[in-house]
Amino acid sequence: MDYSTSFNTFANAAADPEKTGILASLGIDWMLLAFQTIAFLILVVLLGKFVYPVFVRIIDERQEKIDAATNAAEQAEQTAAAAQEDVAKLLKEARKEASAIVATAKDEANAAIEASEKKAKSRAEKIVADAHDQIEKDVIAARKTLHNDTIDLVAMATEKIIGKTMTGAIDDKVIAAAVKEAK
Amino acid sequence: MMNYFAATELHISLAAETIFHIGSFPVTNSMILGGFGVIVMLALLFYAASKVKKGGYNRFIGLLHWTFEGFLNQAEEIIGDKKIARKIFPLVMTMFFTVIVTYWISVLPGVGAISWNGTPLFRGLPADLNFTFALAIITVVASQVYAIQKHGAFGNVKRYVKNPLKDPIGAFEGILELVGEFSRLVALSFRLFGNAFAGEVLLLVVAVLAGVFSIAGLPLVMAFELFIGFIQAYVFFVLTLIFTSLAIQTHGGHDDHEPSLTSPDHSPVDTTKKPLAAAQLE
Repeated sequence: MDYSTSFNTFANAAADPEKTGILASLGIDWMLLAFQTIAFLILVVLLGKFVYPVFVRIIDERQEKIDAATNAAEQAEQTAAAAQEDVAKLLKEARKEASAIVATAKDEANAAIEASEKKAKSRAEKIVADAHDQIEKDVIAARKTLHNDTIDLVAMATEKIIGKTMTGAIDDKVIAAAVKEAK
Repeated sequence: MMNYFAATELHISLAAETIFHIGSFPVTNSMILGGFGVIVMLALLFYAASKVKKGGYNRFIGLLHWTFEGFLNQAEEIIGDKKIARKIFPLVMTMFFTVIVTYWISVLPGVGAISWNGTPLFRGLPADLNFTFALAIITVVASQVYAIQKHGAFGNVKRYVKNPLKDPIGAFEGILELVGEFSRLVALSFRLFGNAFAGEVLLLVVAVLAGVFSIAGLPLVMAFELFIGFIQAYVFFVLTLIFTSLAIQTHGGHDDHEPSLTSPDHSPVDTTKKPLAAAQLE
């Protein structure tokens, strides 16, 4: 194998009197430098006009979509928070109303119970009074019956004592005799 | 037999070599491969743009979409001003695509091995200092243009030139800024050139030294070079943004040298932050 090594630039620069100096040694040629600068700038203009705007527009559109979605999400979050607040408010009101209803129901129930108790009491009193009246009537009737029975018994006993059937005429005679004795 | 499989000659040239002339204009081997790379890049990007316009989608479009979105966000974050970031985006994106495509194409087998009259027919465009120097010049000029748009021509000059009697520290800072602009120019161009050139030399050396066994070793080095290509393209992209961002930052007067926690402008905190990021990348 031939491992010949050539460091051309330094050798050429040294040989060529026009290409002396450090820049020439490094291979810097002003014509090539200008050409490459202009070529690169043309490339920048070409790509900057026809290629990059396409991608930048897509990136911007996507960013806008992301921003819009973020805004929508924030808005939804705010709406959800507001709805939650409304729900909490409604629940609070409902609980309040329910408490009021329960309280009213309790009052009404108490009133109904009281009214029922009153009614029952008055009815019981009436029943008691009626019972008292009935008992009184029964007592009177019993007394009347007892009076009549006593009279009958007295009559029967008298009959047995005097040995005669008590008639009206006898009765009157007896009564007259008794009155006479008494006198 | 071995000669058919591997490079047998180490042909290393620091400069791109002229293959032929069009009139008096020299066409170099880096321009041939670079031109091919740019054509491939344009074809892919125009295909993607037309596909996106029609509402089409595939994995390649998805990858490009993802790349554009990530890089655009990054540009807006680094620059801070969305309007300027959108303006400079085509430039930095073209830099990224051009560097990555031409760098990756230079890793293809055959680059450096196929010769024309003893000169390699192909050479990676980033391994040509004319190209990297052109990119660096464009970066520095662009940052100056945006700085002038932001501060005005006089305001921009004031970034570098200050009255040493009124503001000696500021005047010294101005000189440092001026030196910094030139150092950026050199650093940007030589970093990319050095990496690309070293990559090509490494591939060549591995091919020559490993001989037929380079079939096993070269793919690993090529994969590494692809990674380096991506890193270099990304670094160029980010540094261009950082330099522009530094150039358009609002500078205050002499009071800026005092620590200020209330000023949103270019406070000492800011001045250390971004150059630090740039220094880390460099």
